[in-house]
Amino acid sequence: MTDALTRAPRLETERLILRGPERRDAAPIMRFLMDPVRSEGFGHIPERGEAWRWFALLVGHWHIHGFGYFVIETRDTGQTAGISGIWYPETWPEPELGWVVFDGFEGRGIAYEAASRARLWAYHELGLQTLTSNIVPGNDRSKTLATRLGAVYERTYMNENMGEDELWRHPAPQALAVRHSEGTT
Amino acid sequence: MSFPARATIETARLILRQPVPRDVDAAVAFYVSERAQYSGGNVPMSHAFRNFASILGHWQIRGFGLWAITTRDSDAILGLAGPYYPHGWPETEIGYVLFDGAEGHGFATEAARATITDARSRLGWGEIVHYISPENARSIAVAERLGATLDPQAATPGHGKPCLVYRQPKPEAVS
Repeated sequence: MTDALTRAPRLETERLILRGPERRDAAPIMRFLMDPVRSEGFGHIPERGEAWRWFALLVGHWHIHGFGYFVIETRDTGQTAGISGIWYPETWPEPELGWVVFDGFEGRGIAYEAASRARLWAYHELGLQTLTSNIVPGNDRSKTLATRLGAVYERTYMNENMGEDELWRHPAPQALAVRHSEGTT
Repeated sequence: MSFPARATIETARLILRQPVPRDVDAAVAFYVSERAQYSGGNVPMSHAFRNFASILGHWQIRGFGLWAITTRDSDAILGLAGPYYPHGWPETEIGYVLFDGAEGHGFATEAARATITDARSRLGWGEIVHYISPENARSIAVAERLGATLDPQAATPGHGKPCLVYRQPKPEAVS
């Protein structure tokens, strides 16, 4: 079998590769989902079989929408460091720019670097005109990163999975281009 | 892949094809409905979407999966049947569900029977089971029509719900 499970493109940044999910990513992604502390703000899945089916959902999402979560791989060591991309399952208010960094990869700006690249791809290649990020109220780390990405709090809504959830709005493509030219990245 | 790919399975009345994104609405409508309560359904819409998307993902990851049941007259999806082997399943399963309005024609039996033959010959499956909720009398009836018998010793998927295991006779016992 080929490694590719989707038609996701391969994107590169200074330190990272963003690529479609492959079979070898199932284990680190399941480990993250089953970790109650790490996955609290994302959607904790305690049962192993359910976690595998979430990985299968991640693959299927690409086929349904033509976009989805990229796997973040470090260029130097080739490790799976997290996921970031555009997430739009049923009941989501809008396509979301999401990010998660796995245990051992925090504190290095990996989420920022990956999410910035995924956002550019969504604007340039998918032609999206706006993006939001859905953040549970207590997830201060994610709010800090959203702020750093230029996103602002817009409203709170009820998410069927997560309960009360905040919608943060990212700069539109034009505003983002201005930010880049001013060197605020 | 260690087995040849196959695009469709045809029976007297049905065409089984891979599920595709345009099936999402029908599949989500099924999984949110009460009639899906024994098939991982009767769940909120976000979970129903997850169920369907993970069926597409299962195809990519495993190279096989639940086929979409359609008739020779229409490409509309009427249900799902076929090989299912997500992580944590003790054995290889042939699953089957019919969506609302498709019951009463023997479609589940006809589709499942064809996918059993295909799983044996093309995927090389030996043991084949059906995991069924004890309360799902209609599904038990289909399993029995398919020649399966209850195996009280068999391991069940560890999802914590009561589950019966119906087992297909070994291929050599059939011939």
